[in-house]
Amino acid sequence: MKVVVAPERGFAPGSHRIVTVGGRSIGVFRIGDRFYAIRNRCPHQGAPLCLGRVLGDAIAKVPGDVEVSRSVLLLACPWHGWEYDLETGQSFMGASEPRVRSYGVQVEPGSALVEQLEQARTERVPGPYVAETFDVFIEDDYVVLET
Amino acid sequence: MIDCDVHCAPASIDALTPYLSDYWRQYIEGAAVHLHGLVLAYPPGAPTSASDRARGFPAPAVPASYDALKERVLDETDADLVVLNCLTALEAHRNPYYAAALATAVNDWVRDEFLERDERLRASIAVSIAAPEDAVAEIERRAEDPRYVQVLLPVRSELPWGHRSNHPIFAAAARHDLAVGLHAWGRPGQAPTPSGFTTTYLEDYVANQTIAQSQLISLVCEGVFDSHPDLRVVLIECGFAWLAPLLWRFEKDWKSIWREVPWVKQPPSEYVYRHFRATTAPAHLPRDQHAIRQLVEMVDVGRLLAYASDYPHDHGDGLSLLLAELDDEGRGAVLSTNAAELYGRATPGRSATAR
Amino acid sequence: MSETIELSTPDGTESERAVRLIDCDVHAQPTPPMLMPYLSTRARRYVERYGRRAPSEPHTYPRVRGGGVRLDAWPDKPGHWPGSDPEKLCSQLLDEWDVDYAVLEALTSLDCYDQPEVAVEFARATNDWVAEEWLDFDDRLRAAIVVPHDYAELAVAEIERRATDPRFVAVLMPGSAQEQLGSRRYWPVYEAASARRLPIAFHTGGFMRHHGAGPPSSYLAYHANISCVMQSQLASMVASGMFAALPNVRVILTECGVSWVTSLRWSLDAAWELMGADHPQLERRPSEYIRDHVWFTTQPFEEPADPTHLLYAIEQAQLADRLLFATDYPHWDFDSPAQALPRAMSPELRSAILYGNALDLFGFPPFRSEPTPDQAP
Repeated sequence: MKVVVAPERGFAPGSHRIVTVGGRSIGVFRIGDRFYAIRNRCPHQGAPLCLGRVLGDAIAKVPGDVEVSRSVLLLACPWHGWEYDLETGQSFMGASEPRVRSYGVQVEPGSALVEQLEQARTERVPGPYVAETFDVFIEDDYVVLET
Repeated sequence: MIDCDVHCAPASIDALTPYLSDYWRQYIEGAAVHLHGLVLAYPPGAPTSASDRARGFPAPAVPASYDALKERVLDETDADLVVLNCLTALEAHRNPYYAAALATAVNDWVRDEFLERDERLRASIAVSIAAPEDAVAEIERRAEDPRYVQVLLPVRSELPWGHRSNHPIFAAAARHDLAVGLHAWGRPGQAPTPSGFTTTYLEDYVANQTIAQSQLISLVCEGVFDSHPDLRVVLIECGFAWLAPLLWRFEKDWKSIWREVPWVKQPPSEYVYRHFRATTAPAHLPRDQHAIRQLVEMVDVGRLLAYASDYPHDHGDGLSLLLAELDDEGRGAVLSTNAAELYGRATPGRSATAR
Repeated sequence: MSETIELSTPDGTESERAVRLIDCDVHAQPTPPMLMPYLSTRARRYVERYGRRAPSEPHTYPRVRGGGVRLDAWPDKPGHWPGSDPEKLCSQLLDEWDVDYAVLEALTSLDCYDQPEVAVEFARATNDWVAEEWLDFDDRLRAAIVVPHDYAELAVAEIERRATDPRFVAVLMPGSAQEQLGSRRYWPVYEAASARRLPIAFHTGGFMRHHGAGPPSSYLAYHANISCVMQSQLASMVASGMFAALPNVRVILTECGVSWVTSLRWSLDAAWELMGADHPQLERRPSEYIRDHVWFTTQPFEEPADPTHLLYAIEQAQLADRLLFATDYPHWDFDSPAQALPRAMSPELRSAILYGNALDLFGFPPFRSEPTPDQAP
């Protein structure tokens, strides 16, 4: 099922929209020129996940010396702060964490343009759940979500 | 079998003065310094400070000589190896130079009085707790002697042991393949518990387990084990039945707040079983095999525990109920193998050669 | 001031519903300007010039998640913050989860650094604000009486002042004060509460000395240590003999978890067997005192990988009839009423925790009237 989210031009980088599709609440995020879509429900205790903040992964080699990743983006739940990889829905806190459903997003300006970004995924221990991914693409200058 | 916690202590400061400089001898005489034998931690009359059997021997209850140790412990024990913990340097001294000198003197005394006399004996290195650099210096001083198997720290501290100012101590221990023992009690003279100044010995006695939990949290949060992947910390005389609920709490919180300590790469429970051990005394357990069975399900005691008689202290007899729940392999681990891995610098059958 | 407030009774235009959910720890939190109108000129001027004297724990240990609150709990209204707006709280918590009763604990006076005249005014102002802005607003709300606890006589006076309002159902104490909570200094407060049949809620936070191991370096370590502080406080209460001396006292340890109770009971009992004869203020086993006098709110509920282990902990510490459900709204470590209790829990235990134990402890009626649909405005 395809749902028009917004005109691409009106969807500013760093912003997000929350849409309801078939009874499911889904958040669509634009980070730079990339779009991500993720289920607006934290598997932990059901919080509205997409009201949380998007944060780059924090990587520390030694205590006190921390870098923030620009490529690995994590959505932090507004309640308990559980973080989910925006791209895959994978949570990264420990060995038994539920993933949230994420929906694959692509920007396709008229023609199929699949961006294969080489992203260093986090070194953290992943959880056992896999988020459901969906496509998001541009069709006639509109951001379109496919569930 | 290995006994991981047996106490010895000089009967008086006279035993240590041969190992102190002229200046400190002058200081001791002029200030009428004497060893109080950790009376706040182990009041001589308290039932827990010495078993009835220990009280049957002439005072002091804590063996002050090799002959006393032999008669009271070594001749009666099945242990192939005994780790001596002399707590004398844990007496609170604010003069850091004296604290350092005292620790050195304690280690010299333990070496000459005990380690030289019996191949079964190993010891923890007493260090000054007044200045981390002095602790490091003392560790370096003893590192070549494989009969010292552990660095001895008190579970009570002014800054948590994970605090970065303490990191050099753990680095030195790791560098020389020494375990670090956090032993019950420590500095008196400040409110000894997280709730404030206590008014009963009973609360103080129970507080060690609570403080050990705080130290465990600190060591993990501050990345001590990420920096030193082979380091082992032994919680001595601090109990262990509290571990499962603490980990549930700590791990749940870490899942939310890990971003504050991103150098902690693993869930806390991973660190605990890899890096921590706990001695079996005190085993404050109910006389309820059903509850003990549940405890064994929640806490991997076969991995965590290392047997200690804790001579001459007396905490009751909870351990036998716990051992009854374990299979042969688990019992063997608790009584021997876990300690052998911990203190593996020199184990029975291997000669104590310098590294 | 001594007007007795009566709870509403059904008048026939309402139906009755069985109580199914009681939230025993909710934070109504005034912004500083909200309390000012309730203060005397002198107190207001002192605070405007010199401020409250307590060092702020959130400044020492910044709350890494959401500044300490659920990000979705911010009211839209200007001049408000999470917990300051009754409309937002009643909608987002009571209506959304169908909460029958919620016990408000306003954490304005957990620490008591202020001079007595100022401390007592802040307690009084908080209770006045809670009564007028909250308890009058929604009849599902109840509250704990805020008191200047380190000044026992003044605290007793404030308890007496509120005791005629049956919507105040507990007395609020901090989890950490200038002295240990078992100290006789606080017994007059406990006696006054008990005489009014009010349980005493000891809420995590307050003076926070961090002795024993010393102050942690991170909010994570601080938060994980919360149960350690309460272990120490419970040991203090037991060892002080207060449960023997004040046989009617009922204590609610609030927002400190529950599963640590087992090993502490074992240790206290073992210590009592070894040296109880020398502590005659303990006439019975420590675990018996804990059983008879101590309740626990659930939040933040522990989440072991195997939920059966949580049930073991509850069984071993005899907590089935002592646990009181709490959300801690609007804080970040909020426990959802639908999700926080594991599925492995039996329906009987779930009901006891969600409302049964609180009905017994607070004496709330088990049925609550609500407008029938056609009478609703």
